[in-house]
Amino acid sequence: MNSSLSESELQRYSRHLLLPEFGLAGQERVKGAHVAVIGAGGLGSPLILYLAAAGIGKITVVDFDLVERSNLQRQIIYIDENVGQPKAAQAAARAMELNPDVQVHYLNCRLDVQNAFSILSPCDVVVDGSDNFATRYLVNDACVLLNKPNVHGAIYRFEGQASVFSFADGPCYRCLFPEPPSEDSVPNCAEAGVLGVMAGVIGCIQATETIKLISGIGTPLKGKLLLYDALSMRFDTLPIKKNPDCPICGSNPVIKTLEESLISCRGKDNEMDAKIISATELQNELKAGKQLLLLDVRTNEEVALSKLPNSKHIPLPELPMRTAEIDNKADIVVYCKSGGRSMRAMQFLNEHGFDKVRNLTGGITAWAQDVDRDVRV
Amino acid sequence: MQVLIPSPLRSYTQEKNEVAAEGDSLAELLQNLEQNYPGIRFRMIDEQDRIRQHIKIYVDKVLAERLAYPLQGSKLVQIVCALSGG
Repeated sequence: MNSSLSESELQRYSRHLLLPEFGLAGQERVKGAHVAVIGAGGLGSPLILYLAAAGIGKITVVDFDLVERSNLQRQIIYIDENVGQPKAAQAAARAMELNPDVQVHYLNCRLDVQNAFSILSPCDVVVDGSDNFATRYLVNDACVLLNKPNVHGAIYRFEGQASVFSFADGPCYRCLFPEPPSEDSVPNCAEAGVLGVMAGVIGCIQATETIKLISGIGTPLKGKLLLYDALSMRFDTLPIKKNPDCPICGSNPVIKTLEESLISCRGKDNEMDAKIISATELQNELKAGKQLLLLDVRTNEEVALSKLPNSKHIPLPELPMRTAEIDNKADIVVYCKSGGRSMRAMQFLNEHGFDKVRNLTGGITAWAQDVDRDVRV
Repeated sequence: MQVLIPSPLRSYTQEKNEVAAEGDSLAELLQNLEQNYPGIRFRMIDEQDRIRQHIKIYVDKVLAERLAYPLQGSKLVQIVCALSGG
């Protein structure tokens, strides 16, 4: 790509050009760069807009999802009329409206083991704005194997984290967290909520680090984890050391391919497979007259909205104090809104002598979708 | 000493993002936390008394990698939990 700037671009980027540290050379590097943004959601929205506005020459947006109305509280790249449309295409279109001088390509697909190398290989920087651990570990592992910097950001409720992994012999995400938790053991934003502007704060930090890496200015957030707590308006930076025993970037790596990466991420889930029950399986067992104790671990507010018939309600935080209320010989099915809290409840009960416990996968939300659409969630 | 609680564990601390706890070692501090906030320790420590892979605990900004980590004279414990939201 020709990285020299046109007259129009010189005007557009004049405030960058005025920065002595950045200048024409920095802007030309930005124009010549190719960045992949994984996920066009809360983090991806400000990221894509700022990267396009900054003049990143080529941006590849990867997302398989459709815009939902509940996204609009934080995914500011979309407008109301985009609801129901593919995110990647809409985000790319909006970015090119903002800056017609940049090329924004979109891939309406999920990043997976088969396509990760071909999508990420041509890029200079990969920015992780995904919303699940499986993709985060895939992004990390692909970046390590391809030797690409991974600009990481993650949010939850009122808290955010950011770092630059896999850059200049720095630590990778697995150096910090070697293996993912089971997907259900840490709730996601759809279940626990997120303050909309959190995505803006962390997404903008990711955009800043991306532009710094490409233009070569400043000190990257390498070997550090930035923590942001919106409630206390507290920013902290904690050190992350490169782990010599890291399973992928250590001195004797056990993960050498993305297939091995996938296996490492699935291990935890397989352990749980025997302990889950789907909504339709639960319905069949109830219809067949099986004696089950349905344990609802949601909050009082959620239970007031809807509940499964004949279920016992113990909010998750109260469970340790109220186990005496539960028959430890009962065949228990625990549920919450989408399966995260109930997974933790199941683990806790297993630890305390309850052997026959299963988790309703997908929670009451799955029940509402697959069994009884009159249930409000 | 001051303990900063990450969002995913605040359901155990009545949504407090900061609590006080005592102990001469990380193990004692976590036991003290457990007494005041039942259930919280299991979210951080597995059945083999290892810190879970998606949890990091920093003491005065230094990573504490084992439960025997001494806390005498320490002021701040920060619990960090992997987040997946985006």
